[in-house]
Amino acid sequence: MDQLFNIDLKKIPVSSDQEALERKKNFELFLENGLPNKKDENWKFSDLNYIISKNFKQISVSDDFKFDKKIEFINDFEHNHITLINGAYKSCDIRFEEKEKVKIESFKSFDNFTNEKGNNLYNLNKALSSGGFSLEILKDYKCKKPIIIYNYFTSDLDNKIISNSNQIKLSKNSELTLIEYNISEESKFFKNTFENINIEQGSLLKSITIQKNKSNGYFYKNISGIQDYNSSYQSFILSSGLKFNKIEINMNLEKENSTCYILSGLSLGKDEHQEIKTRINHLAPNCKSYQKIKNVLENDSNGVYQGKIFVKDIAQKTDAYQLSKALILDDQAEFNAKPELEIYADDVKCSHGSTSGSIDEDAIHYLMTRGIKLPIAKKLLINGFLNEIFENIQEEKLKTFLEKSIMEQVDGI
Amino acid sequence: MKSGELKNQEYKYGFSTDIENFKAPKGLSEKTIKFISEVKKEPKWMLDWRLKAFNRLKVLKEPNWQKPKYPKINYQDLYYYSAPKSMKDKPKSLDEVDPKLIETYNKLGIPLNEQKRLSGVAVDAVFDSVSVATTFKGELDKKGIIFCPISEAIQKHPELVKKYLGSVIPISDHYFATLNSAVFTDGSFVYIPPNTRCPMELSTYFRINASETGQFERTLIIADKGSYVSYLEGCTAPMRDENQLHAANVELVALDDAEIKYSTVQNWYPGDKDGVGGIYNFVTKRGACRGKNSKISWTQVETGSAITWKYPSCILQGDNSVGEFYSIAITNNHQKADTGTKMIHLGKNTKSKIISKGISAGQADNTYRGLVDIGAKAKNSRNYTQCDSLLMGNKCGAHTVPYIKNKNSSSTVEHEATTSKINEDQLFYCNQRGLNQEEAVSLIVNGFCKEVLQQLPMEFAVEAQKLVSISLEGSVG
Repeated sequence: MDQLFNIDLKKIPVSSDQEALERKKNFELFLENGLPNKKDENWKFSDLNYIISKNFKQISVSDDFKFDKKIEFINDFEHNHITLINGAYKSCDIRFEEKEKVKIESFKSFDNFTNEKGNNLYNLNKALSSGGFSLEILKDYKCKKPIIIYNYFTSDLDNKIISNSNQIKLSKNSELTLIEYNISEESKFFKNTFENINIEQGSLLKSITIQKNKSNGYFYKNISGIQDYNSSYQSFILSSGLKFNKIEINMNLEKENSTCYILSGLSLGKDEHQEIKTRINHLAPNCKSYQKIKNVLENDSNGVYQGKIFVKDIAQKTDAYQLSKALILDDQAEFNAKPELEIYADDVKCSHGSTSGSIDEDAIHYLMTRGIKLPIAKKLLINGFLNEIFENIQEEKLKTFLEKSIMEQVDGI
Repeated sequence: MKSGELKNQEYKYGFSTDIENFKAPKGLSEKTIKFISEVKKEPKWMLDWRLKAFNRLKVLKEPNWQKPKYPKINYQDLYYYSAPKSMKDKPKSLDEVDPKLIETYNKLGIPLNEQKRLSGVAVDAVFDSVSVATTFKGELDKKGIIFCPISEAIQKHPELVKKYLGSVIPISDHYFATLNSAVFTDGSFVYIPPNTRCPMELSTYFRINASETGQFERTLIIADKGSYVSYLEGCTAPMRDENQLHAANVELVALDDAEIKYSTVQNWYPGDKDGVGGIYNFVTKRGACRGKNSKISWTQVETGSAITWKYPSCILQGDNSVGEFYSIAITNNHQKADTGTKMIHLGKNTKSKIISKGISAGQADNTYRGLVDIGAKAKNSRNYTQCDSLLMGNKCGAHTVPYIKNKNSSSTVEHEATTSKINEDQLFYCNQRGLNQEEAVSLIVNGFCKEVLQQLPMEFAVEAQKLVSISLEGSVG
């Protein structure tokens, strides 16, 4: 591990001796245990140690880079934006919102993630974090337009590691649609992100993750959140086109009537590996969670879903659902799933379903008898398969934009 | 109905037989293994096999990933061999068997006297570490079927034992399987010759009697080309406030076009209301569908044991082979179960089906853990899995941990699971028609389990149905 991570901690700017000490301590902790491998139950289907060691000889911190390009903004719909270059906060523009209601600033690093003890990537993140953004929506404010986070990765990131920490807070009765939009230039890097989400009473956060283009990056993102009374979290994961990506969501439904939706539609191609891992903790009565994970796998791609629903004994009337569906288009492709239920309350409705297989022959036959050629019939069916997850997005322009991006990905197949 | 109005029905088979025992010295050592081998008059190759397993055991660690945790087992404080003294010189016929033993089996409802037996079931009765009697041997012999204690098979049919023993569960498999390979005492051996349909159900009845004793039985069933056999297994133990270990290995081999149906009604002593005592049932059961068009079907009704930890599995090697797993696991009071299956698809056009019903009451924990693995060469394979859990009360837990792997595009895997409590409407409907709460619950639970119960052979189905109701008595409140 020492050889792979050739990092001089002194190069990382620190504000105090205390911080330097803290970073050193965390880095030593990380080196002791190394990157997680398949012996770790959480990494059973995605051996990170193997994947990183195979693709990187040496990893160092991204310290100096030049950025003089102009980012191509999305112009399909009006939006505010935050710009991060190589994980570091650069600028923000919230022209559609009341300035005093939305607080955005550069963020250093949080003190403690209590439930991430034993996650060695957390130690690594704490040791090397270059910060990120902190976003807060104040009480009773509903954002008029979505906020897009332009996450730009430059071309001089080869063999670098980016350690990112972000914090998002929605105060009582607020609303926000947040879109993480990744733009990568051609370089091979490893990004390790930890994000903290706090959704207060009556608030709604819609979070969308999407890629502009294919990337040679290796991504790990850990999202950890808490939800108060009547709050709602909806996450849409559309991050196709990454060499490696693992998104881990730990959501705690701490108070009654909160809801959590996780929807994902991915189409993976050659040499791609993506994992979605969730843990939804139902800690109070009357909460609802709904997960729908869809994967289209071609070539030698590898899709993984590990989901867990935990229902505490007091969380009666819980309604929890997990569904994972995979379309396997090639024999080299692989899909692994572990949809898990851990239930201690009796008056609940918890269920899961998981299917994997190829495209329905009957459906293809039906389309072909109507004069549609095989490749187009396949595309139609794949599109239909993935588009199903957009049911919950009402904004027409945004929906059209997302459907268009999905279509572009499928066309690439 | 208020809870506590109904007392838990006492464990019916909790008596112990006062009989003089002949035991191996306490503790796990090479000496103990040599002792067992000597008592059984085993050939040298068998002893070597055991010692090889023992050497392997020294480097293995006890697994600890399971959900039910238990206090550390002191393997040096156990007897690995215990047999009634009267069995030391093998009785030639049933008349020579100690009447006390025969009476024990009568009390358990398993008369060993052939005339009294339900016709059509041959029994091998295993008492602690030895087989007491095997019925209907003569009739089976005529068809060329071998049904005998495994210790006898080692002497009389060494070529078959050598070929198949450890071929499905290798001696280096995992801690408990390796422990069993080193110290196994008795169990059944079945060989069905080609193109033979076994005319009756074969069954083994396991009884733990002696205290501080572990039972390590080994069963090996081979169904040769085109044959069929249905095998039943039942088990009970006396009520004791100590935990006793039962670590068995069961290996099934089905060759071309053969079918094995293996049914278990497991009713080991579950411990008392407060979770004191009971059997630790850590069993390795695995079947290999070696031949084309072969089929292995596991059916289990798990109502007893303090902890049940087992995954009867199928390795589907032959093309077009079929694996099935039907399970009911009921846990009440402080019982814990972590059970399920593994379906490993290797051959083309292989099919598997998993139906698992878990019922949790009291403070019990019930886990379904399963693996469906479709290999890259297993083209056109199919799996269907359904696991449902029923919770009664909010102090118990129900968990589902399925692992699903699919490595080719022509195979389909489907998995569904639900967890809920008994439907209020159904209960109300039953109450309205004059059934009391307890009867209504029993009826609904039986309906919930029906898909599995109907897989059992007739003789077992009735008993299993009763067992399901009894296991849940006192849990409705």
